[in-house]
Amino acid sequence: MRTFWVLFKKELRAFFISPVAYIVLALVMILSGYSFRAALSVLESAPSEGSIVTWIFQPNWFWLSYFFVFPLLTMRLFAEEKKMGTFETLFTAPVHAWQVVWSKYLAALLVYCVLWVPSYINFQFVDWITAGAVEIPAGALKGSYLILLAMGMFNLAIGCFASSLTSNQIVAAIVSFTLSLLHFLAGLFIMVVGRKVSESFVDITNYFASMEHIRTFTSGLIDTRPLVYYTSLALLFLALTHQVIEFRRWRP
Amino acid sequence: MIEVQDLTKQYAGRTAVDHVSFKVEPGEIVGFLGPNGAGKSTTMRILSGYMPPTSGTARVNGFDVFQQSIELRKSVGYMPEMAPLYTEMRVKEYLNFRAELKGLSGKKLRFRVGEVMELCALTDMRRRLIGNLSKGYRQRVALADALVHQPPLLILDEPTNGLDPVQIRQVRELLRSLRPAHTILLSTHILQEVEAVCDRVIMIHRGRIRAVDTPENLTRKLRAASVVQLEMQGEGEITNLIESLPGVRKATLDTVQEGWLYLSVRVEARHDVREALMELALKQQWKIREMHWQLPSLEDVFVDLAASDPSK
Repeated sequence: MRTFWVLFKKELRAFFISPVAYIVLALVMILSGYSFRAALSVLESAPSEGSIVTWIFQPNWFWLSYFFVFPLLTMRLFAEEKKMGTFETLFTAPVHAWQVVWSKYLAALLVYCVLWVPSYINFQFVDWITAGAVEIPAGALKGSYLILLAMGMFNLAIGCFASSLTSNQIVAAIVSFTLSLLHFLAGLFIMVVGRKVSESFVDITNYFASMEHIRTFTSGLIDTRPLVYYTSLALLFLALTHQVIEFRRWRP
Repeated sequence: MIEVQDLTKQYAGRTAVDHVSFKVEPGEIVGFLGPNGAGKSTTMRILSGYMPPTSGTARVNGFDVFQQSIELRKSVGYMPEMAPLYTEMRVKEYLNFRAELKGLSGKKLRFRVGEVMELCALTDMRRRLIGNLSKGYRQRVALADALVHQPPLLILDEPTNGLDPVQIRQVRELLRSLRPAHTILLSTHILQEVEAVCDRVIMIHRGRIRAVDTPENLTRKLRAASVVQLEMQGEGEITNLIESLPGVRKATLDTVQEGWLYLSVRVEARHDVREALMELALKQQWKIREMHWQLPSLEDVFVDLAASDPSK
């Protein structure tokens, strides 16, 4: 456990030494600030369905930031160690592969969580500016951040896996971006053609439709199925990452 | 300290190390000598617990390299080739991180990190980013890292690679100073290095051990011919007369300076012809002002070894 903390601290520091974390933070702040402003103007202009939470987390520009965050946060993790040859120094110190995988993954997850702090402050702003005139549904807010965390866990695990496959960060980023996007589009595709296929098929595909998950959670409905789905997939990809890292120790 | 039995490592379709067996006793400095691609690095990676062998066994400090990899790594200080380091870290920060990773903490950690920085002449560089350091300093950071947890065994893969002559001498002195407390296995393709530092040499070529001996014995035993340098004055058919001596292959006149002849006499290995030469000179009434037997350098041995390779 001690070894894990040593590695975790080092990974976390690496995020904030390199400019990557700051760039991603700035990107997410700009986009969440923009969606915040847009949500306010929607609510100003006319009475509408849905709360400020749904207007912030559902529109298209929210998804814009969604796909860029994960490759940017994870591409460096394993690819750089491979490229620099530091895997050799790392794995000739008394460390287990799982400690390395988890320390990198959890450091990325923590940075990811930090990314959403400004958006939460935005909600506090609304409360402050309007002196409580705009209603912020607490359940929907909790639900939104919960599903963001779950989807983050899943996509960051994909990113870790992609990064472990190659020594080139660009390739890692493209692979992780493609996998995340494919997963998203598979869900979206069914939403588009949903009316033409049988009801039961739509039900099944709703299990992996990210858009649908966001919709239910931002309206305040906390469904355990997507949470289990994302967590188990995250574990699967982390297990795969572990296998890739341990590959050198395989006996033919 | 190290016991290797029939160690074999195969990469996809290629055998890097081929049934290698050797032993290293405590307190020894053993040199692993061989040309590039001979299997030195692969063997060292196996011994440091980085990857397992395809077959055969190796025990380091009593730990099996595959079964007890973690315990083994705690008792070994390994310095990889090219000294890969985290370039975004500062020297002291990196050494602190590595020491913590190897189980040091608190006062002991601060003391050891300070000590190895002093030992490797890094104290003035402690706040520098590793990415901005020169090759020589990076090499020293890697060496300091290998030493920081006071391992009984050091495995150093080309520790002087890429250093300038002054730095090379410093590293060699450092290695010699570690001798009583540490056992050292180092690899190199530089021959003077084993002659300067090592007690024993393991010569490896194409994944197989070709010779194990002390550097002096190795040069004496091997077939490479040696040369006797001669400065003399005299009359007659000098070169022919010398060549008629038993054990002499060829005598050549290199230069003539101010009436003195400079000759090189190539002799068969293990033939000391100096006495015979002296007798000949007395009989012919030559004047000799210098005679020097030059033993073959490991360089010659090496070239000989590569040339006589049966598998080629």
